[in-house]
Amino acid sequence: MTAVQAPPEARGQGTMAARPRRKRSPLGSRWTPFLFLAPAVVFILVFQAIPLLQQIYMSFTKTTLLNPTRSEWVGLDNYAWIVGDPEFQRTLATTFVYVVICVVGSVGLGLGLAMLLNRAFVGRGFARALITVPWAAPGIAVALIATWMLNAQYGIVNRLLDAIGLGVPGGAILDSPTYALPAILVTTIWQLFPFTSVVLLSALQAVPQELTEAATMDGAGRWWTFRAVTWQVIKPTVGLLALLMTIWSIRRFELIWLMTRGGPVGATETLVIDLYSQAFESQQLGRAAAIGMVGVIISLVVILASRMVARIAERKDAS
Amino acid sequence: MKTSTAGLVIRILAVVVALGIAIFPIYWMLVTALTSNADLFAPTPRLIPDLSQLGVFGTALADGKAPVWLLNSLIIAVGTMVVSITLGLPLGYALSRFSFRGKVIVTVILLFTQMLPEALMVVPLFSLFRRFGLLDSLLGLILANSAFVLPIVALVLKGAIDGIPRELEEAARVDGARPLGVLLRINLPLIAPSIAATAVIAFFHAWNEYVFAVTFIFTPGMQPASVGIANFIGELGTPIQTVMAVALMFTLPAVIFYLFAQKYVVAGMTAGAVKG
Repeated sequence: MTAVQAPPEARGQGTMAARPRRKRSPLGSRWTPFLFLAPAVVFILVFQAIPLLQQIYMSFTKTTLLNPTRSEWVGLDNYAWIVGDPEFQRTLATTFVYVVICVVGSVGLGLGLAMLLNRAFVGRGFARALITVPWAAPGIAVALIATWMLNAQYGIVNRLLDAIGLGVPGGAILDSPTYALPAILVTTIWQLFPFTSVVLLSALQAVPQELTEAATMDGAGRWWTFRAVTWQVIKPTVGLLALLMTIWSIRRFELIWLMTRGGPVGATETLVIDLYSQAFESQQLGRAAAIGMVGVIISLVVILASRMVARIAERKDAS
Repeated sequence: MKTSTAGLVIRILAVVVALGIAIFPIYWMLVTALTSNADLFAPTPRLIPDLSQLGVFGTALADGKAPVWLLNSLIIAVGTMVVSITLGLPLGYALSRFSFRGKVIVTVILLFTQMLPEALMVVPLFSLFRRFGLLDSLLGLILANSAFVLPIVALVLKGAIDGIPRELEEAARVDGARPLGVLLRINLPLIAPSIAATAVIAFFHAWNEYVFAVTFIFTPGMQPASVGIANFIGELGTPIQTVMAVALMFTLPAVIFYLFAQKYVVAGMTAGAVKG
């Protein structure tokens, strides 16, 4: 605050005179909001908005990593190429499977666990704290320990599976086109379910106990009570979590990249992995940008669709 | 609600199993770090840590790489925390207290950035950073990470400031405080828990960040721990015990820090999203 300090009374009057009608926000000058906004907005423009616009432009060009400053305008060629590419269709399918199972798995398990933890018992606080450990563990460390646990020769998972006679032939789960994706899914859900369960637990605590008790006294079954009372209260939270998990799962990079790099033979290649390898392995920046745009558009569609669903549900509830 | 004893037992068992699943991989890191080579390659795996192997932590620190990685991670994380809160607090305040043209657009942009994959932004940020000499520098990573957490920081702080009655500010203003003074002297102390939450969110984001770090840093001595540890995966030179010891030193501070601030963080993470 190096500005000239006017005596308080004088400044107060000046403000009143300049903005007689806006009593609720009698702050400095009319430029004050912009002074508060400007640093952050400039920052976001420079490091997010302009780079994004550059990527949008780049998705319409042929640009290579070796010579990134020379790009040639190719219109929709990159999009035409990725749409026509059977491998990209597979990538989309893999992404879809990955996202849906992540969402269902993490929200489902999270809800189950939240219901368990919603009853009072000795050591509940302790259990609740410990359960969040996977969520707090850095993704890199998770990828490392998962890779070690799934190690073909010495991994504990293989040893356990062998012991109960379910071992994967050769043991190399992450090298198997069949088992690599499930392994990554289990790892992802392991990391996510503590988060969903903590959030859902706080939602469950808003469910009026008298209502569930009354319903049970009236002889309602547990399932009915859950649907009629509990579900109604937690529905918005479940919806929100499903949306959040969808967006996060579309974006997720490190875990998959470090565990399999999208392999074996593309079995775990999601959109973001494909984007990264197009840019840094095939060195096709234009194609990579176009793949990224497809991801952004899918996320946008998901968000808009979820808002519409929420609005329709609200209207139904209101009528 | 009355429950049968059998139901209670099943519930407790389920909680125990869930806890076991949640903890096991981290526990397994510890066990692996503290296993002698003989036990490691034995036909039956050792399931409890061998405390005679505690020297592994010394070995992990001795070659000097791991401490540098962890220090770099710490610098990046603290830097990201400071930059994103310094910029996010005024933004959150403006979104909460002022009405101005373009407010909706700013909010929409903040929410929109939440869905941008880092991998998509690597290439344009790389060329931007090259132009400004920010490649191979911790400052570059701090700026890139701050850009990604700034929106959530601003939205969480906006929510917190929304909850403070305006009357408190009016009183200060009558006494002649200027807007920034009001924010710092009146609001800041009241939203301390939310500041803590955003600090943890920013710290975590930067502590875990990998894509930018692996692309923008070339000098090994500048690498953060995320890159150093990721390089262990698939590499055969370093004994697995050392790898796990380093990974533990990377994981435990994060987990402990998180456990202390958990209450605020979860509220903050969801608040940011709910407001959308």
